[in-house]
Amino acid sequence: MRRTIRGGRPYFFADPAIDKILNMVVVLASEVWTLRERLAAMEALQVRQGSLGAGDIDAYDFGPEDEARLAGERKEFIDGLFRVLQEQVEEAKARVARQPKPEAKAGLKGKPKSRPKAKAKAKAKAKAKTRARRR
Amino acid sequence: MLELKHELKLAKNRDEKARMNFVSGLRAHVLNDMATGMRAVWDADVEPAFRRARGRGPKDGPEVHKAIKPNEYFKFYSSLRVTAQDMVWQSVFPPLERNRPALKDKAAKLGRAGKARGSLTLDPALEVPRSVSAIDVHLMAGNYDGEYEEGDLAAGALYDNGLAVFSFGLMGQNLDDIGQSIAGFIKLKYPDLKPRRILDLGCTIGHNTGSWKDHFPEAEVTGIDVAAPCLRYAHARAEAQGRAVHFKQMDAQSLGFPDASFDVVFSSMFLHEVPRKGIEKIMAEAYRVLKPGGLMLHMELPPNSQLSPYDAFYLDWDGAYNNEPFYKPFRDCKPEELCWRAGFDPKKYLQFVIPSIGWYGEQVWREAATRPIGVDNDKTGRLTDGILWYCFGAFK
Ligand SMILES: C[S@@+](CC[C@H](N)C(=O)[O-])C[C@H]1O[C@@H](n2cnc3c(N)ncnc32)[C@H](O)[C@@H]1O
Repeated sequence: MRRTIRGGRPYFFADPAIDKILNMVVVLASEVWTLRERLAAMEALQVRQGSLGAGDIDAYDFGPEDEARLAGERKEFIDGLFRVLQEQVEEAKARVARQPKPEAKAGLKGKPKSRPKAKAKAKAKAKAKTRARRR
Repeated sequence: MLELKHELKLAKNRDEKARMNFVSGLRAHVLNDMATGMRAVWDADVEPAFRRARGRGPKDGPEVHKAIKPNEYFKFYSSLRVTAQDMVWQSVFPPLERNRPALKDKAAKLGRAGKARGSLTLDPALEVPRSVSAIDVHLMAGNYDGEYEEGDLAAGALYDNGLAVFSFGLMGQNLDDIGQSIAGFIKLKYPDLKPRRILDLGCTIGHNTGSWKDHFPEAEVTGIDVAAPCLRYAHARAEAQGRAVHFKQMDAQSLGFPDASFDVVFSSMFLHEVPRKGIEKIMAEAYRVLKPGGLMLHMELPPNSQLSPYDAFYLDWDGAYNNEPFYKPFRDCKPEELCWRAGFDPKKYLQFVIPSIGWYGEQVWREAATRPIGVDNDKTGRLTDGILWYCFGAFK
């Protein structure tokens, strides 16, 4: 599913960067609030059940499985936080994909040598994703 | 976030751990995902605009920098990278301040004379160069040498715990991927070297010094640095890891060792924090203390002369925005010239690109010892998934 807005989004401030920052701050605030509600529910439940003591949460360490799951969720969280910036990259990529390669036509040289590595890069990216989940 | 594996690691509460985890993830996002995004924006927009205006591509890193600077994506990348860099150290301060007395006690126990395998020799009269004492390198408040009390080692702990957050897993489980990848590689490539005395210059907390002891257990391994708090910490850290390493407070520009006293003189991530004149003195000192047939080897950022303009720009970001005034001047040097100016035979110059053993695994890393990898690769020296370490040096 595509998550970028076709046709772009409207900007209101003199510098669109400010609108984007505002977007991030609000995404972040929403996550923080969600967390607080969930925590409050959890604590209330546990206290009611008598299974949580003072200081237990600060002293708690996740096991490797939980740690790995959290690492994946953290990555999604961060990706989501900065999703608005990804729009510029995707627009840029789409524009390049639509255009014929200018350097092939004009025969310009001086392109960095690492260009024809798109496949290797995609592979590395897939690897990075699984790795991030393990982290 | 990577948890330190030794006794000196700081006790952290749940929220402190979560904050560190977040900062590590943020750094991975900026240095992997956003770095890829910035390259795409460069290819699609900034470079074509440059070509239209000039009728040619950019000729070097500074031209790329100038062209991309007004771009919004670059601004976000940079602003977030600065934020993340600052947050790395900020995430360590609260647990560090709380743990300081306990840390000092632990270190004192680990380093107790008679029990320790290695040693610590400080020189209170040593004048710390202004390139260290006058700046907070990579936004690290207090720098390597900041001391707040007698026998302080907090700066070392800040560096160790900060690096664990900073490296987002790319510098090894013990933050020694550089040392492990390189010391092992040298052993593989030069089986006849058999060093008896090994010196590590600018060793900080000795995180990459100990690897030499692992790969060459017969050798006497010494690490020097100008920063006393880091060396105190380094000593305790090496003892906690059960490694016999000797730490000495010295300026690499004037080493207190006799001529021809080492078989290997190594440094990692060191020269780019030294002013140009200092680098020349250090190379000359390395030559002096090396035995004939000995090896000088510096792990560093790859030189601009061997990179594409975009990759040169990318690596020089730190020089412009991360309180690293000597970064770009170093990267503009030709490593081979530094070597021969210090007296090394140009024919004995060498350089390697070594795959990170932690990232690529042993097989790829072993193959690299027989099949050289080129420097012009956008993973060389770049903290990103798939990192490769660059090294240069010479035999005497
Ligand atoms: C980036 S750190 C090196 C890190 C470490 N070698 C590694 O492998 O990651 C740079 C170190 O060089 C030290 N340093 C700077 N100038 C020095 C000099 N002239 N002599 C000795 N050490 C110096 C600093 O105190 C600091 O600990």
